[in-house]
Amino acid sequence: MSEAEQPRVLLVDDEADFLASLGQRLNLRGLPTLMAASGSEALAILGREPVDVVVLDVRMPGMDGIETLRRIKESHPRVEVVMLTGHADLESSIEGMRFGFFDYLTKPVQLQQLIAKIEEASRRRLGEPIEGHETFTDKLQQHMIVADRLASLGELAASIAHEINNPLAVISESAGWLRSRAARPELGEAELRGSVGLALDKIEAAVDRAARIAQNFLRFARAPDAVVREIDLRELAAEVRDLSFRGARLNNIEIEVTASPDGETSLVSDPYQLRQVLLNLVTNALQAIGRDGRVEIKVGGGPEQVSIAVIDDGPGIPDEHIERIFEPFFTTKKEGHGTGLGLAVSRGIVEKLGGRIEVESRPGAGCTFRVVLPRHRD
Amino acid sequence: MLKLPIDILIVDDERDFVEMLSLRLTEAGHRVRGAFDGEAGLAALAEAECDVVILDIRMPGKDGISVLKTIKNIHPVVEVILLTGHGTIDTAVEGLKSGAFDYVQKPARFEELLGKLEAARLRKAEQEERIRRAEARILMRKSGDI
Repeated sequence: MSEAEQPRVLLVDDEADFLASLGQRLNLRGLPTLMAASGSEALAILGREPVDVVVLDVRMPGMDGIETLRRIKESHPRVEVVMLTGHADLESSIEGMRFGFFDYLTKPVQLQQLIAKIEEASRRRLGEPIEGHETFTDKLQQHMIVADRLASLGELAASIAHEINNPLAVISESAGWLRSRAARPELGEAELRGSVGLALDKIEAAVDRAARIAQNFLRFARAPDAVVREIDLRELAAEVRDLSFRGARLNNIEIEVTASPDGETSLVSDPYQLRQVLLNLVTNALQAIGRDGRVEIKVGGGPEQVSIAVIDDGPGIPDEHIERIFEPFFTTKKEGHGTGLGLAVSRGIVEKLGGRIEVESRPGAGCTFRVVLPRHRD
Repeated sequence: MLKLPIDILIVDDERDFVEMLSLRLTEAGHRVRGAFDGEAGLAALAEAECDVVILDIRMPGKDGISVLKTIKNIHPVVEVILLTGHGTIDTAVEGLKSGAFDYVQKPARFEELLGKLEAARLRKAEQEERIRRAEARILMRKSGDI
């Protein structure tokens, strides 16, 4: 991209100092940047100035970032929007995805990262490169889902990794030491036996410790939170379908929402946590199917209870695994493809919300996970 | 080339880790001592210096970085390799600025750790050699003055 074709940027943030310094730095880096201190000011500028990429803070007084985004996309659909978000705002940023923002960055933002993102957004606006575009959005979608799931587990993940690494290090050194002992032909049997015993003691103690860390983690994940409101399960199901749609289509999997025609499908509960559970179940279903198949999200109503089931036509769960699937860290996915925490955390959440998760596997024909929840909490 | 044994001190509050890594390094032909906190580590160094200290960054009591600074202050030629977890990479960089030789992430790949230990020992040997030559030059100049 030549100097003359630099994207024109509009920076929107209510923090005056942040706005001024970031705006100045972008200008210095050759990106002509306009600034607005509020959503309405941003819309006014867009009405009179040519802008390619808007960089938009999620959290602003008055018209918030999501609303501003919605209006920008309404009146200037070709303008690309990069959202700036704090950790606590990830949820609402995900909502923003439905209104078509390009990507989000978490504050504090690194200048280089922001510039790269602006240039990417600008390239998409110019329609280049056409080829990578679809995959990029799909990747983004997957990324968002993962981010969404992690958001309510909080930054705890990092400290968990750290905590788990300590027992892992003990296990690693014990195994390594034993291996080098075993490689010494002159070592007597009694001596080798002694080494094996010592190494196994250390390994078992470390494993116990890692398991305790996992349990504490789950207890934390079930900590009470503030959001409770009336939710229509049909809307929630549609939202989860929209969020999972692209990943599914990539692998030729259909996602369909069905609802029993009668019965009340609303309940009073925590929409974010419930969405996390559903996303998790749908993601699992997609992974179980792999390619070519169908996922049904089935909403059932009733006077006292409502239910939402995720039904897939994948291979099902073998009998020997079914009792263990809710155990923390139990996973059959390849290394790096799953933590084994999804179902354990999901069950924790659902129980906290006063409900239960049922599973019904049809080996060779698919699997159903059903979340049953009370319509009202006492 | 035959590798010389390295005198190593491991300082980490994870007792099992210190014990097993000690055994493993001993098995690899090195001489290893262990200490379970910063104060004990400094005491062990005061008793007898070593070539390389393997030092955990995150410890209760005196943390790794302040132990590192004290070591470099009192025993400047002793090399220090920091052990870091996921959340302490930034601290490791700070440690390098404070004179640590290198860092490894926990759980460490053993070959990587061995390589860094050997490199640290070499640097210490070179440093000692330079000091010896400098002292010799000073001695010669002094005797020349006489």
